Amino acid sequence: MRPVSPRSTGVVLLWLLLAGFLLLGALPNETASIRLAGLSVLWWYGGVLAPVMGALVAIRWLADPLPAPPRGE
Amino acid sequence: MTSVSRVLAVWLTPVALLAAPAALSTRAADGLWLGLTLTLVPLIVLGLQAGRSAAPVGAGRDERASLFPVVTLLLAVGVLLWANIALAGDVAVWLGAPRWQGIALTALAGWLLTAWSPLRRTAPLLLAIALVAAVAPLLQVGWAVGLGPIAAWDRVATQAAFRFPPASPWVTTGRSLATVHGRAPLVFDEVHRLTAPAGGVVRARTLDGNRLAEIEWGLAPGQSVTLRAGDELVPGAPVRLRFEADKRVPGAPASGMAWAEDPPRRWLDRLGLLVTLLVGAAALLRAGLTIRLSRDGAGFVAGGLLLAFVWAQAWAVYAMLRSPDLFLGGVAPAFLLVAGLAAFLASSVALRERLGALDPTGGGEIGRDPGLWAGLFGGAALASLWPVDPWALTLLALGGAGCALGPATLYPPSAGRAGLATTAGLVGLVVFATVAAVQLRGAGGALLGSVVGYPALAGAPAGALVLWLGRGRAG
Repeated sequence: MRPVSPRSTGVVLLWLLLAGFLLLGALPNETASIRLAGLSVLWWYGGVLAPVMGALVAIRWLADPLPAPPRGE
Repeated sequence: MTSVSRVLAVWLTPVALLAAPAALSTRAADGLWLGLTLTLVPLIVLGLQAGRSAAPVGAGRDERASLFPVVTLLLAVGVLLWANIALAGDVAVWLGAPRWQGIALTALAGWLLTAWSPLRRTAPLLLAIALVAAVAPLLQVGWAVGLGPIAAWDRVATQAAFRFPPASPWVTTGRSLATVHGRAPLVFDEVHRLTAPAGGVVRARTLDGNRLAEIEWGLAPGQSVTLRAGDELVPGAPVRLRFEADKRVPGAPASGMAWAEDPPRRWLDRLGLLVTLLVGAAALLRAGLTIRLSRDGAGFVAGGLLLAFVWAQAWAVYAMLRSPDLFLGGVAPAFLLVAGLAAFLASSVALRERLGALDPTGGGEIGRDPGLWAGLFGGAALASLWPVDPWALTLLALGGAGCALGPATLYPPSAGRAGLATTAGLVGLVVFATVAAVQLRGAGGALLGSVVGYPALAGAPAGALVLWLGRGRAG
């Protein structure tokens, strides 16, 4: 079994962030249109939360590990 | 193409940058999805690493296999240049200049930048110029409106209707119908008198009972025509028309609430956009390349994409508040001229580097051939003389290149089986082209409509299936 790399974790989290938008839009009773502090829930998620979380995920998990010393280039 | 700034420049072409605010101002939820996918998909693609045994697309001694990704990307780059130069032509018309002037200026600047070697490393500088030139007018508009972004959004979302301001150029001097965004007819919600200051021919579909009848009026200078609710004005004609102040903007959402809500829609359309951008990003950013991202590099790419999305949201909201007539076309392009040109030049340089990095000879000759690039820019400029939808062209380029190269990049065959990647790419490309041809014929329908609207929904799985079958047989 292949070990789970930090990059895989990051990619899965990014997929989940995208899926969250689709799920939010599919919620019944127009939940996504509810206003919270001036914005709709959908806009808070799709315009603020998901992109900011995506950037943080990329910084935390998508960077390559530092090269091992014996194989230094 | 290891520089992260070039990744940003390749992905964030002016057309892609403007597609998000344009979509956001048309319908909030669709624009959010477009912006979110444009932001997260490149990160996903950069995060997906090829397996240890994977062969890069086009690797191996098979010359045909190594030529395939080069030719595919060359065509994709050509179409991307076409889309962006066509946008420059649209902007020129919007500013009142002849279309060819915007096209010639942009194409010439792009070619000079790619041909003159000292200017080839200017992508980061050009991106910085584009950033400043895009953000400065936004801050100015925000200051003039006197509302923060959230308060501005709330104001837009509670508008009873989007109406022509008295100072709108569509009201004062009139504008050419050729500058109207998109090719869909403009549907009127109320009686509206249109005046042709210089005369011209106006085509409309008017309601005759329950049927739409197509009518053409030849108007003398200063003559008016009145359209009723339900009538449709056919855009594209080079006639200048003046609209009435305080009347609803045709083509705008019915109200701020209608704009803000997420209407029930086919999820397949959103999936289609996601697949197109995913395979397109794989082809454009990763095919045949190994990109190593440091933490700073990952932060730079993610920060740049985030900034672009935030800018798109703020620009869309402030523009709707200040100029509801933007639904007829253009997001105040005069302010964004410098930003757009700088972003285009950065993209041109980065696309050239991208193609050069895939050169089978390893020397990057394709990226350094001035004749080839003169042909690309010249062909794109000639094609841009005819108005086209730049975003549709961009989706075509991303979808086509993505179906040809994306599956093998995301799901690479084992080393030494480069021929399998080529076969899968050819199958994906042929399926994509077939469905895209159906799209041109205007086929519709529920499920079929989404697939036809986003041909990558058929092409990418077809290529992936060939890869999967080939790997299975090898195993």
